[in-house]
Amino acid sequence: MTSPGVLRLGRRSFGECDRLVMAIVNRTPDSFYDRGATWDEDAAMRRVHAVVAAGAAIVDVGGVPAAPGAEVDPREEVRRIVPFVAAVRDTYPDVVISVDTWRHDVAREACAAGADLINDSWGGWDERLAEVAAEFHAGLVCAHAGGLPPRTRPYRVAYADVMADVLERTLALADRAVRAGVDPTRIVIDPAHDFGKNTWHSLEVTRRLPEMVATGWPVLVSVSNKDFIGETLDVPVDQRLAGTLATTSVCAWLGARVFRAHHVLETRHALDMVSAIRGERPPRRTVRGLA
Amino acid sequence: MIVAAALCPGPPLLARQLSGNDEAAARLREASRIAVTEMLAAGPDLVAVIGPAQITGAWPPRARPDLTGFGGASLVAGFPGLPLSVGMGVLLLDEAGHSGPRLLRAVADLAPLPECRALAEELVDAADRVGLLVVADGSARRSLKAPGYFDERAEPYDAAVHRAVDSGELRALHALDPTLARELMAPGWPALQVLAAAFATNCPHTTVHYAEAPFGVGYLVATLVSLDNASDLGHRRAC
Repeated sequence: MTSPGVLRLGRRSFGECDRLVMAIVNRTPDSFYDRGATWDEDAAMRRVHAVVAAGAAIVDVGGVPAAPGAEVDPREEVRRIVPFVAAVRDTYPDVVISVDTWRHDVAREACAAGADLINDSWGGWDERLAEVAAEFHAGLVCAHAGGLPPRTRPYRVAYADVMADVLERTLALADRAVRAGVDPTRIVIDPAHDFGKNTWHSLEVTRRLPEMVATGWPVLVSVSNKDFIGETLDVPVDQRLAGTLATTSVCAWLGARVFRAHHVLETRHALDMVSAIRGERPPRRTVRGLA
Repeated sequence: MIVAAALCPGPPLLARQLSGNDEAAARLREASRIAVTEMLAAGPDLVAVIGPAQITGAWPPRARPDLTGFGGASLVAGFPGLPLSVGMGVLLLDEAGHSGPRLLRAVADLAPLPECRALAEELVDAADRVGLLVVADGSARRSLKAPGYFDERAEPYDAAVHRAVDSGELRALHALDPTLARELMAPGWPALQVLAAAFATNCPHTTVHYAEAPFGVGYLVATLVSLDNASDLGHRRAC
């Protein structure tokens, strides 16, 4: 794999130095952080307006919590996300719309309604997902969940080498997607912090992120308010912003390109600081000591 | 004969290097230390560690647990393939300062009761005075935040184990349904069968040190002292 450089999502193209915020918009009553804040469709659309204004390039719409809980069947998942995807598409023709699903039949309806990217956090559990991405010329997130079924928690999971497992599984998914006909410039890999991992594992994949970046595939990280941050700092879910931004900054410095986030403006600021420190983006204004 | 047994769970977080300063883990670790120390106080010639694993088997007495797969920088590689349950028993024995002879055995997750009984007989006859360290976890489905999510049958299952151990009526453990145990992510079933079979003719005095599920996984810590030995140690008859 040579570096694809450009990442294409929807109508847009992004260079290697663009650091993208993927804003989380949950169409669920019970996700772990927002607890149903955007369950109401009007509230969800207000959040889309806010996150786009705050600098999100991607809106990630999900209808099923990652945690175990009440069953959400495909029909209900479609009901939760597909009309909303269509509404966002109508309002924002250029915003990249991602759908957070592991089910190919749900993804197909979402792509037909205008979704540009399929964000599969469960590591290709549904083997037909890549076919849907290819069919609609959509992008695909190839994530590592350690082989766990969707909506299950890790229980005493051990790896001889966690990053080796992440690379093996995500690269296999990326290759499978290419073979299925997905445009290679629309494929992203994701270590999937907390998925199939304890806190030590999530810290290690963060530390060793350059090994994923070196594959040439664009790397997405989804760290926002997650348990590995909560455990590392011993703080509850509403006190993880500083840890989230620190982790985000480190991942950005190490080469990640897409950042799935609850706090869009804060994440945008953290990423812009990283870009400025790296010399890849000028400060917005500089008069200090220059007057 | 069995002079005493310690019953402990075997979560990786018993290793200090993995759990950091977590207070609940520290309490579990201390309860386990007490149970193993009391078992050793019965003066066994040999300690047999028994825990569930994919297959029934034996490991070299000096094998040490390999926890490197769980991450963390300060862990050293141990004996490849040593089952987690047995390894955690070894860790508890080491931390209690036991340096005498030991047997490391695993019983298969799917072992039927006769196989568990045969293994128990083997352990009972392994020395004149055998100390048993049984590593058996309860259900991992005790709460909404549990690794296996909540199952309303989990607490009654763990409570049945608790009652049997607390009363010394270990035969009740044989009535536990292995299929239900698997559904409840309670891997300790076969090890509990070995425990009950090991005390089949030797009703013990028991002390439960800990019975909680702080992370959604049922942990039961107890000491079981054989009655012959209990009188020496000043314990009263329990059943």
